[in-house]
Amino acid sequence: MKLSTLLAAPIAVVGLTSTSYAQVANAQTVTGTVTDASDRSPLPGVTVVVRGTTTGASTDGNGQFSLTLPAGSNVLLVSAVGYQSQAISVTSSSVSVALKSAVKQLNEVVVTGYSEQNRKTLTSAISSVKGDELKDIPAASPDQLLQGKAPGVQVSANSGVPGGGIFIRIRGSNSVNASNDPLYVVDGVFINNTNLIATGLGNQVSSNPLADLNPQDIENIEILKDANATAIYGSRGANGVVLITTKRGKAGDKTRVTFNTYHAWSKAPKQYDLVSGSELAMLENERFLNDGGNPTQVPYRSVTSGGRGLPEEQSTYDRLSDVFRTAQTQSYELSAAGGSAKTQFYIGGGYFKQESVARPSAFDRFSLRVNLDNSVTDKLRIGTSTALSRTHRNVSSNDNNPVGVINSALFTRSNLSIYNPDGSYAKYGSFDNALALINNLNNDAVGSRVISNVYGEYRFLKNLTLRSSWSIDFNDMYENNFNNTLILAGQPRGTANSYLSRDITLLNEQTLNYHVDFGDHSIQAVVGNTIQKNTFQRTSLAGQQFPSNDLTTIASAATQTGSSSRSQAGLLSYFGKATYSFKQRYTADVSVRADASSRFGQDNRWGYFPAVGLGWRLGEESFVQDLNIFQELKLRASVGKTGNQAGISDFAALGLVQGGANYLDLPGTAPLQLANPNLSWESTRQWNVGLDAAVLQNRLVLELNYYDKYTSGLLLNVPVPRKTGFASVVQNYGAVSNKGIEVQLTANWLPKSAVQWSTTFNVARNVNKIEKLASPITTGSRDVFRLQEGAPLYSFWLYHQTGVNRESGDAEYEDVNGDGQLSVADRKLVGNAWPNYFGGVTNSVTYKGFDFNFLLNFEQGAKIMNMNRFFLVHGGTQSNIGYLREQLDRWQKPGDVTTIPRLTTVASSNNYGGVVQNLSDRYLEDGSFLRLRTLTLGYTLPKPAIAKAHLNSLRVYVQAANLFTITPYSGLDPEVNSQSGVSNTKNFDWATVPQPRTFQLGVTVGL
Amino acid sequence: MKQTIHRLLFAFHLTAAGLAFTACRDLLEPTPVQQLSDDKAITDAGSARSATIGVYDRVQAYYQLNWPVLGFLPGEDVRFNGTLNQFLQIDQNQLSADNVLITEAWTQMYQAVNGANNVIAGVPGVNDPLLPTTEKDQLLGEAYFLRALVYFDLGRGWGGVPLVLTPTRSKENGQGIRRSSLADTYAQVLADLTQAETLLPDATTRNRAVKASARALRARLHLYQKQWADAETYATQVIGNNNYRLVTPYRTFSTAPFLSQESVFELTFSNSDANSMWNNWFPSALGGQFNFQPVPAAIALLNDPTVGGSRSALLATTVIAGSNVTYGNLYSRSAQRDDPSYVLRLAEQYLIRAEARARQGKLTQALADLNAVRARAGVPASTAATADQLLLAIENERRIEFAFEADRWFDLVRTGRAGTVLGVTDQRRWVFPIPFNDLVADSDLEQNPGY
Repeated sequence: MKLSTLLAAPIAVVGLTSTSYAQVANAQTVTGTVTDASDRSPLPGVTVVVRGTTTGASTDGNGQFSLTLPAGSNVLLVSAVGYQSQAISVTSSSVSVALKSAVKQLNEVVVTGYSEQNRKTLTSAISSVKGDELKDIPAASPDQLLQGKAPGVQVSANSGVPGGGIFIRIRGSNSVNASNDPLYVVDGVFINNTNLIATGLGNQVSSNPLADLNPQDIENIEILKDANATAIYGSRGANGVVLITTKRGKAGDKTRVTFNTYHAWSKAPKQYDLVSGSELAMLENERFLNDGGNPTQVPYRSVTSGGRGLPEEQSTYDRLSDVFRTAQTQSYELSAAGGSAKTQFYIGGGYFKQESVARPSAFDRFSLRVNLDNSVTDKLRIGTSTALSRTHRNVSSNDNNPVGVINSALFTRSNLSIYNPDGSYAKYGSFDNALALINNLNNDAVGSRVISNVYGEYRFLKNLTLRSSWSIDFNDMYENNFNNTLILAGQPRGTANSYLSRDITLLNEQTLNYHVDFGDHSIQAVVGNTIQKNTFQRTSLAGQQFPSNDLTTIASAATQTGSSSRSQAGLLSYFGKATYSFKQRYTADVSVRADASSRFGQDNRWGYFPAVGLGWRLGEESFVQDLNIFQELKLRASVGKTGNQAGISDFAALGLVQGGANYLDLPGTAPLQLANPNLSWESTRQWNVGLDAAVLQNRLVLELNYYDKYTSGLLLNVPVPRKTGFASVVQNYGAVSNKGIEVQLTANWLPKSAVQWSTTFNVARNVNKIEKLASPITTGSRDVFRLQEGAPLYSFWLYHQTGVNRESGDAEYEDVNGDGQLSVADRKLVGNAWPNYFGGVTNSVTYKGFDFNFLLNFEQGAKIMNMNRFFLVHGGTQSNIGYLREQLDRWQKPGDVTTIPRLTTVASSNNYGGVVQNLSDRYLEDGSFLRLRTLTLGYTLPKPAIAKAHLNSLRVYVQAANLFTITPYSGLDPEVNSQSGVSNTKNFDWATVPQPRTFQLGVTVGL
Repeated sequence: MKQTIHRLLFAFHLTAAGLAFTACRDLLEPTPVQQLSDDKAITDAGSARSATIGVYDRVQAYYQLNWPVLGFLPGEDVRFNGTLNQFLQIDQNQLSADNVLITEAWTQMYQAVNGANNVIAGVPGVNDPLLPTTEKDQLLGEAYFLRALVYFDLGRGWGGVPLVLTPTRSKENGQGIRRSSLADTYAQVLADLTQAETLLPDATTRNRAVKASARALRARLHLYQKQWADAETYATQVIGNNNYRLVTPYRTFSTAPFLSQESVFELTFSNSDANSMWNNWFPSALGGQFNFQPVPAAIALLNDPTVGGSRSALLATTVIAGSNVTYGNLYSRSAQRDDPSYVLRLAEQYLIRAEARARQGKLTQALADLNAVRARAGVPASTAATADQLLLAIENERRIEFAFEADRWFDLVRTGRAGTVLGVTDQRRWVFPIPFNDLVADSDLEQNPGY
C-alpha cells in the first residue's frame, strides 16, 4: 500500500501538468467540500468514492474530504443518506459539491445484477427503496416493508401472525406449480426463502425466512423487474430479483454509534359479530320447523319438557375476548459504523419481539451483523458480510384447522359454556377449547440462520477487477411441540413432535468487471460464473403416550417413531453483461446467462437467457432542451428471456419409486412419479418500454413502464388419467401471460423552502391470464379455485346465486349449462383474487427538526372468499357451529327480500348443503381497500440542546400503523391469504389473524 | 499488460473453471437417496417383497377412512356431525362429481392397481436364488388378490371401470382403455381371484392374503353376481376351514391384539403406521372430532338385547357438559392407533351362505347360518319362516353386524333395496360419480348418468 502510494506520487506530479478536460492521466490528490444544496451547510459523513475503484473517503465535520485520485480516474461518486448521489468529473485539485436532498431522483447509483449503474444510463425497470424509508415500520421482515413502496410490486401479509408468510409478486404470477416468489440476494448471497417449519398449522405458510434479517441493517433494496435487469440471474430471474444491500462503514469516518428502540401496542381493529345464545336457539328452532320437525319437539324448549331450555333462557359465552389481546412489540438495536482509509466496518446487534394479537403466538429475533472491508494493498481488497440470527416462534394453528385457536373460539356455538360443571375445559363437535389451547399450546420453533459472504477483489488494472466470493446461507429450524392431555392434539396420553430441518446453500462466484471511458464513450462489462449447491435435510421424531403432562420430551414417550429425509440440487452458471453508453445519452445493454440445473433431464440441462436494453435520453437532445420543459426525458426499451426452476422437487425429471410404503412394519415401495427426461425450465419472455421525465425544475418526476410477459413451458403438474395410478406428471406445458403498466410520480412541492415536502404516488395494473393449459385444474380447500385456459390464476369456482326465491325462501342458482338441474357443471368462475390496480402514496414533510410521514396503500377489485361466513352462515347444516349475525337476515316468510336463504338442512333445497355444498358466491366479497399503513410524527432535537448530553443526534417519534382501512369487505381484514401453503390460492379468509392496529413510540440516539 | 492478462486468465481459470468442471458431475447429477428409479424397483428378492408390501400399503390407504365411509355413511345408522361438506353429501345421498372424498378414493384405488400391476409384471422375471418359486408364487398371488379386491370395490362403487392390467411407465400408458361393463369388471376380478387362489399358500395368516382370503372374496363376488350356488360353495370352503370360527363375545374380533380367528382378511395398523379412524368417532372431549355419530335409531337397535345383543359393544358413552353422549367405539385404540381395517370376516361368510342358500330354497340351512351369527351376538334365534322373511332378516342382520364397516350401502344397492330402505329412489344415484377432475383429464372416461 505504502509502496504503491509512493510510486504513484511522482506520477501524480507529472499528471497535474497535463490535466485535460476529459481525463486525468495520472494520480493526483483531490480535496473538496460537500454542502447541502438548499442551505449551503457543510455535510459530514458523506461518502466520496472514485468510480470503478474502492478508493474513497468520507467528509469530516466541516464537510471536507481529501483523497488520492488513481491514475486515469477522474470521476467521483458522492453519496449520502437522504441526498441524491452525484457523479462529478474532476477538473482541478479542489472541488465543491452541493448535494440535493433525496427526492426520488434520476441520477442515483443503482445496484444492478453483479454491477452498479447510474440511473441516467439505466435501460431496465428497477425500483429502489432506501433503508431510511423503511426504518420505523413495526414489521418483522424486510419484504413486508415494501408494501405500497414500489410500483408493480404487490405485497400483502398472509395474516397478522408476526414472522409469518408474505405474499409478494413482482409484475404478477408467471407460474402455476413452480414458485412465484422473487429471488432474494442479500449482499451477493442468494438466500433460501423456503419455509422450514414442519408443524402443520392449517395450510398457512408458518414462517417467512426473510424475517431472519433485521430490517434496521438495510441500506437499500433494489427490485429488478424487467428481463433486461433479471436475465443475468438466468433460470432464477423470471419472478424478479430483490437485491438487499446492508449498511457498511465509510472510509475516514468517525465511528458512529446509533441506538434505536421502539415500543408498540397492537389490537385487532375489528371483531367478528356472532349471535347471542338466545338468537342461536331461535335460529335452531326455526331450522327444526323448516325441516318439518314437530313443533312440540323443537330442540330449544323448556327443560321440563325434555328440551335444552327456552331460547330466552340461553346464556351467551364470549370466547373471542379470550383470544384477542393488546399485543406488544419491542425493538432494540445498537450499531456502530466507521472506518479508516484501510478498513471500514459496520457492526449491529438487534433484538425484536412481537406478539400476535391472537394469543398465544409470538415471534422474537436476536440478530447480529458484521460487515467488514479491508484494503490489503491498493490492488487487493477483502471483506465480509456476515449476519447471524436466532429466531423464536411460539406457533399456533389457525385457518383451516378445527383445533386452531381462533377456530375453537369463533365456530363453537355461543350458547355453550366454556367449562364443564366440574371446571374442566368443555369441547364441542370437532373443536377444541380456545382457552385450553391458549394455556397449554407448547409449540416452539427456533431458527438459526447464518448468511455470510467473504470476498476478495483484485484490481489488475485501474479498470479491470476480479472478484471472487464464497457464500453460505445456513438455515436451521428446530421445532419441539408437546401436546398435553388438556388439548385435543394431545389425546389420549400426550403427543409430541420434534423436527430438525436444515437448508444449506453454498455459493461460489467469480466476476470480472471492466469499464472504460474514452471521449464520449463509456463501456462497462462483466463476465462471471457461479457454482451453487443446495441441500435440504429433515429429521423428524414423534412420541405418543407420556407418563405426565410435565414430562414433555420425546425421551419420556412410550412410543417413539422417527424419520429423516434428504434432497440435493446443483446449479452451474456462466454469465456476461456489457453496457455501452455514448455521452450518457444513448445506452445499449446486452446480457446473457447460461445455467445448468441438476433438476432437469440430461438432454435439457442447459438453458440460455439473453436480454438487450436500449436507452435514449431525449432530454439531452437540443430539440428537447430548446423546449425548456424537461430536466430529464428518457425513453427505455428492453426485451429478454428469463427462467424459473423454483418450487419443483429436486428429482422431478426422474421416474421414481419411493420407500416408506410400509405394511406390517415391513419396508414397502410404491410408485411415486412418472419420468420426464425432457423436463426443463419454464421460460419467460418479457419486453418493457419505459419513460422517465422530470419537469418544473425537477419538482415533478415521472417514471412510467409498460411490460408484457409471456411464460411458456410451464413446470406444470399436468393431470393424467388416474387409471394410470398417477394423478399428474410434471411437464413443461402451458403458458401464462402478465401485462401491465406501472406509474410512479414524485412531487417535490417546495424545493427552495425550509419546508421539505415530497409525495410519491405509485400505481400499477397487472392483467394475468392463463394462455394455455392441458385441462382445468382445481385447487384449494373444497376446490374453491380453478385454473382454466383464458382465465386468470386465483379464479374462484363457485355456484352463482341469482337470488332467494321470495315465495319459497330457497336459494336460486344460475343454471350454467341450461339442463334444468343443478350439478357440478353449473359451477363457474365468478371472479378472481387479482386487484384491478394497486399502489401506494408516500408523503414526507420535514421542517426544522420535525418530520411528518404517512404511507397509504390500496388495492381495488380483488375478490375474497370469506370462509368465516361460509361456515357461520350455514342455515343449520353445521350442527356444531354457531352463527354470524348475518344469518338473522335469512328469509322467513313469503315476500321477504334477502340474499340469505331459508334455514334448512334439507339437501334438495341446495340452500346451504346438497349439491351446492354451500359453495355459493354469496360468500365471495369485494376486497378493495385503502389503508393508512403508517402515520409518523418525529422530532429531531437541535444539536446544541443535545450536545450538553454528549449526544450526536436524538430523534423521538410516534407512529400509528393501520389507523384506518376503508373497505367494503365484511371480514376482519381484506389483507388475507389463509391458504398460503396451498399453491394457486389467494384471498381466502378462514379464522385468520388480522393485521393489527398499532401505536408506537420510538427514539433514535446517535452517540 | 500481456502478462497481467495471462495472470488474470490463469486466476480466473483456477478459481472458476477448474472448480466448476471437476465438481460438475457431482453437482449436476445428484443421486436421490430417498427414492429409486422405477427401472430398479423390482430386481431381486428384497425389492420384490418391498413392492408387494407397497401394494398392501396402498390398499390400506383407501380402506382406512374412505372406503368404510362410503359403505356406512350413505346408510341410515350414522350421521355426519363434522364440518366437511364432502361427508355431508355422502350422508345425505347427494353426491356430486366434485366430491373430494370420491376423488381421493378413486385415485388411491388406481394407485393400488398400478402397484399390483408392477408386481405382476416384474416378479416373474426376477432371478434371485433368495427368492424361491414358492415365495414368488405367494407374492404374485397376493398381487392378484389385491388387484381383485380393488377392482371389486371399484365395480360395486362406480359400476364398470377401466381395466388397466399393465404397469404404467408413461402417461400414455392406458390410453384408449375405456370403461368396461360391470360384468367385465367382475369377470376380471374372478380371473384374478382364480389366479390368486392357485398361487397363494394355504396358510393361517390373516393380514396377508392366503387361499382362504381369495375364496372368501370370491364368495362375496358370486353373491354380488347372484351366482348363489358358487357363493355357497366358496363360503362353505371358508366356513369349513378350521382356521376360522366365530369368536365370542362379539367384541373380541375388534379387541387387541386383533387377528382373531374370526378374521379372514384384515389390514393391520401399528403406531408407526397409524390408523386414526377412532378420531372420527370419538367426541372432542375424548380427543376425537366426532365426525361420525350413530343416530338414535341405530343406538336403540344396537342396545336392544333382542337385536344388538353383545353388539352393543360397538357403542360407548361419555359425559359432555353434564349430559350423556353415545359414540361409536368399533375403532377405539386412540393411544396405540392400531385399529385394523376389517375387510373379510367369517360372520359375513355365514351371512353370504345364508342368503345364497335362502335364494336356492335351502331355508333350514339358511336359517342355521343366520342363527350362527345371532347366537354369537347373544340374541334369540330368528324365526323367519319364508324365503322373503329370511332375506329380510339377513339384510337386517348385516345392518347390525357390520354397522360401522364398509357394507350397508353396497348391500342395499346390491339387493336393489336402496330406494325402499334409504329413500334413494333415483337409481342413477346408486353408483358414485366418476370424479370430475378425472373426466377432464381422461377423454376415454364417461360419467355415470345423472351426475
